[in-house]
Amino acid sequence: MNQILLITDGCSNVGDSPVTAAAQALAEGISVNVIGVVDDGTIGEHGAREIAEIAKAGGGMSRIVSSRQLSRTMQMMTRMTVAGTIRQAVNLELKQLFGLESVGELPPSKRAEVVRVMDELEETSELRVALLIDTSASMKPKLHAVEEAVRDLALSLKARTGRSLVAVLHYPGVNSRIPCILDCAWTTDANRLPHLYARLRMQGATPTGPAILAAVDYYRETCGMINKEVAETPPKLAGDSSGVRSDYVV
Amino acid sequence: MTGKWNGKKYKLERLLGIGANGQVYLATIGRSVCALKLGLEASELQGEANVLASLDRAQRARGKPPFLLDVDDYTQEDGRDVPFYSMRYIPGLPLAPYLKRHGSQWIGVIGHRLLERLAELHEAGWVFSDLKSDNVLVHDYGRVELVDYGGVTAIGRSVRQFTEIYDRGYWAAGSRTADEAYDWFAFAMLWLHATDGKRLMMLSRTRLPQDRGIEDLQRLVRTNPKLRPLTEWMDRAFHGQFENTREALQQWRLANRSKSTAAAAAQSGQSQVPGWMAGLLFISASLCVLLIAVWVFQS
Repeated sequence: MNQILLITDGCSNVGDSPVTAAAQALAEGISVNVIGVVDDGTIGEHGAREIAEIAKAGGGMSRIVSSRQLSRTMQMMTRMTVAGTIRQAVNLELKQLFGLESVGELPPSKRAEVVRVMDELEETSELRVALLIDTSASMKPKLHAVEEAVRDLALSLKARTGRSLVAVLHYPGVNSRIPCILDCAWTTDANRLPHLYARLRMQGATPTGPAILAAVDYYRETCGMINKEVAETPPKLAGDSSGVRSDYVV
Repeated sequence: MTGKWNGKKYKLERLLGIGANGQVYLATIGRSVCALKLGLEASELQGEANVLASLDRAQRARGKPPFLLDVDDYTQEDGRDVPFYSMRYIPGLPLAPYLKRHGSQWIGVIGHRLLERLAELHEAGWVFSDLKSDNVLVHDYGRVELVDYGGVTAIGRSVRQFTEIYDRGYWAAGSRTADEAYDWFAFAMLWLHATDGKRLMMLSRTRLPQDRGIEDLQRLVRTNPKLRPLTEWMDRAFHGQFENTREALQQWRLANRSKSTAAAAAQSGQSQVPGWMAGLLFISASLCVLLIAVWVFQS
């Protein structure tokens, strides 16, 4: 299970369409969820529409919430996306084997068994979540809340039986050739997560599309993904085994 | 209409398309919809259904839903049997109208999904053969489905069905024996047709058969701003120079990825302050200093 969780507060305004980028991510086996964070005022109709479209194109969910609700929303989304993927796969199997539309059509005794297996899969499957965080100027007041929510997410993921890995990236990056920056390579440890506030760039540019594509590149480089098959062997990474956090520019 | 052997009841809603060997209707069965192909010749239709069934078997391993739903005959009022098969209904626009409506930025994603589909087909031992804009239906966000499997040919056999401008034989680029490269060539032609249809048709009308060749197509690609960044990939597709379709897919992904980075760089270059404006700023700043100096000097 591979996810990109995009956290932003507004529209992209630089680079290729993030909707196309999200569609590309899905084509490569990574679902894209989006959370719009807004505290005072609204995110604007254009922003709201874009957020919904990015998630639809990326096969994921979208929500617009306040920074207070961020933590639980992130956890809910991550879990529901995993459950949704499993449910889709199971329903497909049921359809092929028995011609049933969904789990609901099974008699209760069989249904119980299938749902038990689904829960098992949900708990034990390997999960990778790449957090892609908008650190443009307007996100400044919300970054502390984002940091907390990310830590919380990593903590609950750590509790899973299955292997859960979290990576953190932020955008905008340095320039157009480097649209986003890797803050933390794949880790299972909540304490290794970076302090985003320190990495803030006071820029208006929000290259969401190129940032999503760069995150997909990162997945490919570290997981050796070819056509949705994630490599069985764990990837060799700079920061994973040593205690040093290295700034790796994507 | 009710199937003679399997007894399923269908209601034909509307005509979706007419092909050389039959018509496809949108139909409802109970509460769900499907597409129904009514054929002219029983053995020909069965051949198509066989290919679909074989593909479905290969697809099941990948966890994909079956395409073919029912194969049967229908007895008309005059007593004649009409063969038919039903399949999953695929909504969506053919490639050319989709790109016109949503823009050429979708080329990368659509191409990716299509090559993936072709790779699955090739790995099951089949060549699609009649790849063209009308047979590539695109629905939400670049998701792709192939329709009209009437031309699907086993690798090594002669191509059963093809459309002239997509056929590599027409462009003197290779034989009409079905192999993966046959589909790669048609895939490349898809983009030329969808982004530059007029020029392509003009070319095919004006060139004499003995003069037609890959160089003409390469020139079209190089002079097409939407396709120029993909020139190298297209060249390899025209010449059939990939190891297999998976490699073609990898290269497609890379080529489109560098297309995006190049575009991003170009765009940001434009958003920097243009030189003349910076010059004006300098002049007005100098004027300001001068005026202040004059004022100070006078008082």
